[in-house]
Amino acid sequence: MNEFARLQDDFQRGILGADDKVLGEILDSPKERREVLFGVYRHAYGSRLVEALRHDHPLLHLYLGDEMFDAMGQAYVTARPSHHPNLRWFSQGLPEFLKITAPYSDHPVIADLAALEKALNDAFDAADAPVLTLQDMAGFAPEVWSTLQFTPHPASRRLDMSTNAAAIWLALKNEERPPDAAALDERGRLLIWRHDVTPMFRELTPEEAMMWDEAANGIPFGVLCTMLATYDDADGAAARGAGYLHGWVTAGLLSEVSSET
Amino acid sequence: MNVASKLPPIAAPADREGVSAKPPFLGFGLGLRAQHYDEILSDKPPIDWFEVISENYMLPGGQPLRVLDRIRGHYPVVMHGVSLSIASTAPPDFDYLRALRDLARRVEPQWVSDHLCWTGVHGKNLHDLLPIPYTREALDHVVGRVNLVQDFLGRRIALENVSTYVQFKNCEMTEWEFLAELSRRSGCWLLFDVNNVYVSAFNHGYDPHAFLEGIPADRVVQFHIAGHSHMGTHIIDTHDHPVCDEVWDLYAAALRRFGCVSTMIERDDNIPPLDELVAEVQQAREMADAILPGMRQAG
Repeated sequence: MNEFARLQDDFQRGILGADDKVLGEILDSPKERREVLFGVYRHAYGSRLVEALRHDHPLLHLYLGDEMFDAMGQAYVTARPSHHPNLRWFSQGLPEFLKITAPYSDHPVIADLAALEKALNDAFDAADAPVLTLQDMAGFAPEVWSTLQFTPHPASRRLDMSTNAAAIWLALKNEERPPDAAALDERGRLLIWRHDVTPMFRELTPEEAMMWDEAANGIPFGVLCTMLATYDDADGAAARGAGYLHGWVTAGLLSEVSSET
Repeated sequence: MNVASKLPPIAAPADREGVSAKPPFLGFGLGLRAQHYDEILSDKPPIDWFEVISENYMLPGGQPLRVLDRIRGHYPVVMHGVSLSIASTAPPDFDYLRALRDLARRVEPQWVSDHLCWTGVHGKNLHDLLPIPYTREALDHVVGRVNLVQDFLGRRIALENVSTYVQFKNCEMTEWEFLAELSRRSGCWLLFDVNNVYVSAFNHGYDPHAFLEGIPADRVVQFHIAGHSHMGTHIIDTHDHPVCDEVWDLYAAALRRFGCVSTMIERDDNIPPLDELVAEVQQAREMADAILPGMRQAG
């Protein structure tokens, strides 16, 4: 390791709090001790990354309050240093961190709330792609409908929740008092997408969630209807499938449709 | 070992005709911030050009890129990065460089700039503009990296002096000597941040005018002017205050030294209403008009 690389190694170790060796390589200024001056970098490191978390998770911040959020943020900064040049991606691991790290893992609503904010952030700047329209759908003859396969828009994503984090998110967004955190008897199934430039989400029924997930896996419309028939009234399965599909197209959730034939 | 220094000299793409021409004088600009998107798009304020933070648009898609495309349709734009880490001794991040090159192809900026600094080693990114020792070893290393980046991007870049809080014992030259030599050897342009010179000069106890005099005038393509936070014994470059009188005075001296240089108000935090920043841009314009009467018009 050459002198320049060794100095950068010492400097980084000093910022990360590993040791103070770097202090032997820098000068006092005319008015201040080197410990204080180097402390500017050490302090800026943690505060800048926690600030990035506040930016990406404003409602989790509101929910936890300054003190608890910043303590959580510092724990995340320590556990998961940034490896990406773009600060935009630093918070990507936060939901998983909160899910597996005590004391946050004792309150699963925190990880759920972080996961919902992450999904909305990811929808916001997801890749652009064509949006399928009802006119596109009208071009297919009735006999090929059973073969149609759909490609979700890149901004769309699915999220399952074990808690009422979605209700808490809505209350916080509307500046209302959030409900008490609670585990759900049956998991909540959320669909997140981008309408024009605005991220949105809504809750799906188990049936619609199944159809979305399988459509995203490339299952053709005819098979999807057969699968729907196992969830509810079999005779109305095709109509329900067409209804869900209509809703997805009008919301801009699909990018492409293709026929196997 | 600096590999580039061992290779025979070749004409880099940055030296080819048309790529090496000094960028034009753009007038008086502002850093583009998301808080002002709507107002800029609806009112088209009297700003000559905008500087965008490159990383804010190195994204898959969505609103930021759409807005940038629209603003680019009305204003000249320059790209200013914070993560090039040109002075890092870690291997270059070619994924980052590819994304930067792709964005530059989309935006077609007047120039691309970043900072003379490093942001991390060993795969970590500290997301700060960290200082370097002004040694011959560091200079050789950075010259090699600048040549590499300019070859990769197919254009010369501009590098900015950062605010620093510490100085290294092993320095062999001043910051301005380092910048001047870096620019001479690599052909890169210089982005002269007036506030950062003021901050570093205060923190290290030197005369900011010595810095100014040590920078070759023909290499400077842009000024940044901004505010800071005074801590008594040192100044922290927060870019979250209006430009103070001392920085305006140094800007006046920079105008006399460097002449007609594209100037930009840079506010990174405590973002005020757009009107306040437009007024600061206007103040810079009036100061330049008074000091350099008859300066050529933007565009």
